[in-house]
Amino acid sequence: MDELEKRLAACFSTVMPELTAEEIRQASATTVKSWDSVATVTLIAVVEEEFGISVEVDDPARFDSFQRFLEYLREVEKNAG
Amino acid sequence: MKLVEALGLLRNVKSRKGEAYRCFLATGANPLHLTTFLTAELALVLPDQRIELQQGLYGDFVGNLSRLADANADSAIVLMEWSDLDPRLGIRTASPWTPSSCADILSNVNARVLEVQQSVEKASQRMPVVLSTPTLPIPPISFVPGWQASSFELELKIAVQSLASGVSQLAQVRVLNPQRVDLVSPLQDRLDIESELLTGFPYKLPHASALANLLANLVRKPVPKKGLITDLDDTLWRGIVGEVGIDGISWDLDHHSQMHAFYQRLLGALSTEGVLIAVASKNELSMVEKAFTRKDLAITVNSIFPMEVSWGPKSEATSRILKTWNIAADSVVFIDDSPLELAEVKASHPGMECIQFPTKDAAGIYSLSLRLRDLFGKSAILEEDAIRAESIRRSHTRISNEETAKTTPANFLEQAQAEISFNFSKLPLDPRALELVNKTNQFNLNGKRYTEASWQNYLQDSGSLLLVVSYTDKYGPLGKIAVVAGRRDAKKLKVDTWVMSCRAFSRRIEYKTLEELFTKFDVDEIELDFVPTERNSPLREFLTVIFGEAPSPGCVISRNVFESRSKLAQVPQEIANG
Repeated sequence: MDELEKRLAACFSTVMPELTAEEIRQASATTVKSWDSVATVTLIAVVEEEFGISVEVDDPARFDSFQRFLEYLREVEKNAG
Repeated sequence: MKLVEALGLLRNVKSRKGEAYRCFLATGANPLHLTTFLTAELALVLPDQRIELQQGLYGDFVGNLSRLADANADSAIVLMEWSDLDPRLGIRTASPWTPSSCADILSNVNARVLEVQQSVEKASQRMPVVLSTPTLPIPPISFVPGWQASSFELELKIAVQSLASGVSQLAQVRVLNPQRVDLVSPLQDRLDIESELLTGFPYKLPHASALANLLANLVRKPVPKKGLITDLDDTLWRGIVGEVGIDGISWDLDHHSQMHAFYQRLLGALSTEGVLIAVASKNELSMVEKAFTRKDLAITVNSIFPMEVSWGPKSEATSRILKTWNIAADSVVFIDDSPLELAEVKASHPGMECIQFPTKDAAGIYSLSLRLRDLFGKSAILEEDAIRAESIRRSHTRISNEETAKTTPANFLEQAQAEISFNFSKLPLDPRALELVNKTNQFNLNGKRYTEASWQNYLQDSGSLLLVVSYTDKYGPLGKIAVVAGRRDAKKLKVDTWVMSCRAFSRRIEYKTLEELFTKFDVDEIELDFVPTERNSPLREFLTVIFGEAPSPGCVISRNVFESRSKLAQVPQEIANG
């Protein structure tokens, strides 16, 4: 797990404290009961705070898993670098 | 506070087992992250309680005001934005803007403001209500350029300010100060347009966080400090009087020391509002006395008591001041320009708030004045505030006279022409009674505190009783100085709360109070909900005299025991040094 993934996992842990580290990496809106629309916007807000970015949320539904968030952040990192 | 910190706090709050504190949030917006911040901030100011934040429905501001009227809550927050007063003042509707629609919007806003006023008035009869007027910018509806104030916008603001001004005069209503919101959250950083469109949550996170912090402070007002001890040289005035002489010290524009006059004015104002002001200075007393004869001082010497001027350590001077005031160090702020003096006092009195005076930093002194207003701020000035300092000065004289004349407290009351009055009325609600209950530590039966709502509920119970004791003597009035709250059953009186101001110690008022309770209710026993606390040793000592041994929780005083002990205790234990 690289630094970016660790920081994202910490964001997930704050919003969904009931998940284990392994569950977080597999987490998605379909597998986690507590993952509703409020959890999505809260995750987005926490990620924005943690990474100091403004997430483009024209379609929040696309942020429906840990891996999707991770892909988005890697893309942002690539474009910034 | 960051959202991640608020979420972390919330996790801990969920495991709290204390009594629930219920707060109703009436807003038309989707409060989303604001509820997270607000719950976290309330959890910080109410550290022993579980926090329940109740909400109405999204987009139904008027309906939520109606729900507020029936809410079972300890307090309420009415948080309105412009779009709650007319949807056309928000960005989520497609209604057209025309010059003629401005008049219609204004008419709607005035009608809505009236509804808010009525709801706030009604709710405030049951619980404290916090009102936040719009914090978000008005959209560009008016035809004038943005740098010009339009009559439309000004009229909108007048409508809202008129509402705020009206309800702020109600006893249980507190209005969020827009100037403070402006200070902590710049206008351009408040509205989150993307979030408003996507979720209906209109605030950027830093604004939501700032708003939550201010609202929580209004919901649970911090207990104001009681006393301020100030240094003189390079603090109350510019210069060292021992070096530059009486005419060399300054606080004026010519000497670039005007901010010392500003500080003096603030202390003078605090004094008239009931804050105790004292001086701790390393100086020659004669020099200081001469300095205080200068007519251009913006604070009078009568506003200051006591004046501790010597070459001894300031920790000792502050100890003597605390003893004279008879208050605890954590109720006091000490201000000095010297970090060394501050550290020395802090080491001796860890609970005391020690603040460095930023001499030669005008902006710093201005900031200090804002901080002092926050530390000493209160919602209302009561009769007792006006007489507090004078009664301490008189009490000091009284104790000196007593020591000189070797008069005992028992016969002192007679000589002092003491008059104790007992008021058993529960209505109208007396804010002084709750203030005494919530700020008294030493003569306090159990340290129990009440919110405004819980106190009101307690008194509304037909079985409850309230006694407010007032005192005056030839040295002057002390005002309302003791409160007893309890219930009565067939043969017994149960006292849930009993507090007495430390200013009233050594006057046998506690004996007279018990005597009055036995007589008025014609009971044989009084059960006390006594609980020892870290600071209620004066109360414990009094009960020890009555029982002949240390009191136990739930102790019961019988009339016979009280009468015999009361006679024996003609010279009661001196408890004034608690």
